[in-house]
Amino acid sequence: MTLSRLDATMDLLNIKPGMQKYLREPRKTLEVSVPIKTDAGNIEIFKGYRVQHNTNRGPAKGGIRYHPDVNLDEIKALAMLMTWKCSLVGLPFGGAKGGVIADPAKLSLNELEHITRRYTFEIIDAIGPDKDIPAPDVGTNAQVMAWILDTYSMDKGHSVPGVVTGKPISLGGSQGREDATSRGCVYTILSTLKVMGIDSTDLSVAVQGFGNVGGNAAKILHDLGFKIIAISDVSCCLYDKKGLNPYEIDDFFKKNKTISGYSSAEELPREDIFGLECDMLVPAALENQITEKNAGAIKAKIVAEGANAPTTPEADKILKQNNIFVIPDVLANAGGVTVSYFEWVQGNLSYFWTKREVNLKLRDIMEKAFYETYKFSNEHKVDMRTAASMLAVSSVAEATSLRGIYP
Amino acid sequence: MLKKIECFIQPLKLDGLKDALIDAGVEGITMTEVSGFGRQRGYAQGEKPNKDVKFLPKVKLEIVVDEEILDNVTKTIVKLAATGEFGSGKIFILPVEDAIRIRTKESGISAIT
Repeated sequence: MTLSRLDATMDLLNIKPGMQKYLREPRKTLEVSVPIKTDAGNIEIFKGYRVQHNTNRGPAKGGIRYHPDVNLDEIKALAMLMTWKCSLVGLPFGGAKGGVIADPAKLSLNELEHITRRYTFEIIDAIGPDKDIPAPDVGTNAQVMAWILDTYSMDKGHSVPGVVTGKPISLGGSQGREDATSRGCVYTILSTLKVMGIDSTDLSVAVQGFGNVGGNAAKILHDLGFKIIAISDVSCCLYDKKGLNPYEIDDFFKKNKTISGYSSAEELPREDIFGLECDMLVPAALENQITEKNAGAIKAKIVAEGANAPTTPEADKILKQNNIFVIPDVLANAGGVTVSYFEWVQGNLSYFWTKREVNLKLRDIMEKAFYETYKFSNEHKVDMRTAASMLAVSSVAEATSLRGIYP
Repeated sequence: MLKKIECFIQPLKLDGLKDALIDAGVEGITMTEVSGFGRQRGYAQGEKPNKDVKFLPKVKLEIVVDEEILDNVTKTIVKLAATGEFGSGKIFILPVEDAIRIRTKESGISAIT
């Protein structure tokens, strides 16, 4: 959610100017230098950030990304998005985000470990299982979480698995974390079909992005009987109107690091995915992919935002005009942080659930959040994105106002 | 963890289903002839319903399985009990606290395998 959308939401909710100022501002912003000795023996300095947006509903929660384009404004915006997302699905967390300006593709495993450990040390007073719990994001993974866990635990003198989520299962990670975002997204799609009165899975889907979210979403939808007619990644768009097999494409991708060249489908330019004839579109790649340039071409009746902020505000207006049902990012991709919450709960209890238990609990939370948002959108005659924003912001505003201003 | 499957299907689908369930790992099935109605109130697709609900004959199966094979079993039922029309039936999954085999006094998973 951009600041302008937040402002519009707060106006709709009649939030007073003072509280509006409070909700816009991150609570804590850290900017740190991360020096490491490279494999070649040189000293290299990286810049890292950690932002905690609002912690009135609970400890801060949010990913850490390693990417060359990381910047403070983006991290602040993403930290705020996490506040709204946790609030909307009812998790007792505030929002946070962190990042290091670095390109993991150009670093050795050794260098990545040094960056991670030093970055963790620099933000160590700000994080902790009761304060701020990082998770994987773009460019980071379970191994990076394991290094953060170890660095933090060494500093504290005892093992603290609850300091991160998205850990490997052998270190206290949760079953079902890997495909949680996709599964959550699929639950919101199924609920959407239910409210639209569609009780068949004989529908065609285009999935943009073939990373963790897009790849798993394609597989889960395929398993449910949906026809995946297109899958795109940064290289191209694979298309077969009779349906693609995402498992075979994944095998191809693992061998070749790209989906381009997969021979059992037609290969189109990647941008073509938006204009294809299909029932549903799942943008599951990066931000700002659906723009005013391609939004008008979208023929899908449902857009489920697996990625964060895939639709620009201008494009959003076009989708609305064309009566496309948009399941907004704060709802559609909240499955990831929900299972992160389950991992944190299981870690705190030191008692672990089966995959089935995790998935059923995830479904409960996603369905509840979906139907609350849907009901609100009907009652207040607003679209799903506005409804989700209003519900999320109002609950944070309420918590903030109940707690009052310290001292 | 033990789970109980209670499912309601069309009587005609029972024959095709029982062997497939054994193949899916089911060790025992209890079958009851029951009658009931669902959202259609007992009326066939296209039939004009009046205010009286119609109880139609169904078959109820009760099966206790380990969680490990549960998904496999429910998938088999969904595949083989489907009629393509309203009234194919429903599957309910319930937690089972414990199970005891009377002859041997075995409990838990041992009681059903």
